[in-house]
Amino acid sequence: MFEFLNQPEVIKIIVTIGSMILFFVGLFGLLTRKHIIKIFISIAIMESSIFLLFIGLTFKIDSIAPILDSAHKDVATMNDPIPHAMILTAIVIGMAVLALGVSFAIEYFKLTGKTDIDEMNEMRH
Amino acid sequence: MSLKREIPTTTLSGFALSGLLVLTILSILLQNIPNKIQTAGNALLKLNTTEGVANAVTTVVVYFRGFDTLGEIAVLFIASLGIGLMLHSNTKCNIKAESNFMLQTASRLLFPIIMLFGTYVMIYGHLSPGGGFQGGVIIASGVLLLLISHKAFEVPHSVIVALETFAGVSYVLIGLIGLLVLDVFLGNFLPHDISQMGLLLSGGIIPLIYIIVGIKVGSEMSMIVQNLIKRDYDV
Repeated sequence: MFEFLNQPEVIKIIVTIGSMILFFVGLFGLLTRKHIIKIFISIAIMESSIFLLFIGLTFKIDSIAPILDSAHKDVATMNDPIPHAMILTAIVIGMAVLALGVSFAIEYFKLTGKTDIDEMNEMRH
Repeated sequence: MSLKREIPTTTLSGFALSGLLVLTILSILLQNIPNKIQTAGNALLKLNTTEGVANAVTTVVVYFRGFDTLGEIAVLFIASLGIGLMLHSNTKCNIKAESNFMLQTASRLLFPIIMLFGTYVMIYGHLSPGGGFQGGVIIASGVLLLLISHKAFEVPHSVIVALETFAGVSYVLIGLIGLLVLDVFLGNFLPHDISQMGLLLSGGIIPLIYIIVGIKVGSEMSMIVQNLIKRDYDV
């Protein structure tokens, strides 16, 4: 019944639409939430949607991990290693940015006791 | 009550704006779905066998994009430095109260196993899924377990400084030796025969660099979790 889902084009369309739905959730939270930690969580959700898009677009049915050995030498059945390597980089950078932002938020809360971004108006005066 | 309070304008406008942006991106993506996305990967996988490393992702991260990985661990170092600058406190207090007996005993049992697993993932990064980043984060999770189970535990600062200095300097030194020997920064100057592929001692400098990356990521992540968890409690 669901054999049509195995076509590569259908998989790519499903991955694109699904990751963009996740991107929408993150962007909506980024635009409408006021709590600064929730904004960082929204940014993390948007990042993970991009990771899913990159990995999912290069997914092939019946393909194996790109690890060569004596039994697996046919590179045509393997997944593309480039998106995996790029997403590995992106995950580390995203983690660093998130941790640094959260530390800024914690320090700001210690100094002023505020978490709402509408009340952060010290620079205005 | 005014009309403005009844209509959730922020929610509606946020919904409309983000929906518009996402629909734009989605239409661009759906019109340009790549069909021949695999060809670049196949070429790299064929090139990968010349380095004698089984895991192609490791070769891409450490060898073909080795300079990029050097910048990446620099970014991680700067983030760790910034967190240390923002959240540094002189208190030696991790948790508010002493944790219970079960957590302390379990952490004593689990910590060596987590360290062993992290080191294994790090050292076998060129043969199996895993590598320096993953192994370093596993080691940092072991440190986090000690931090939440022991009130006064602290990672020795001198050890972290020594490890990070050793890792960063030796990464650049290996790259410079490659520059001297092969005229390529991070050139693979150690023997990397294709017949050795799959053994622990294979791939030339690639496992060495991934172990160095693992040491650096492990120490930086340990400092990040320690700085995030320490705070001034009113005891």
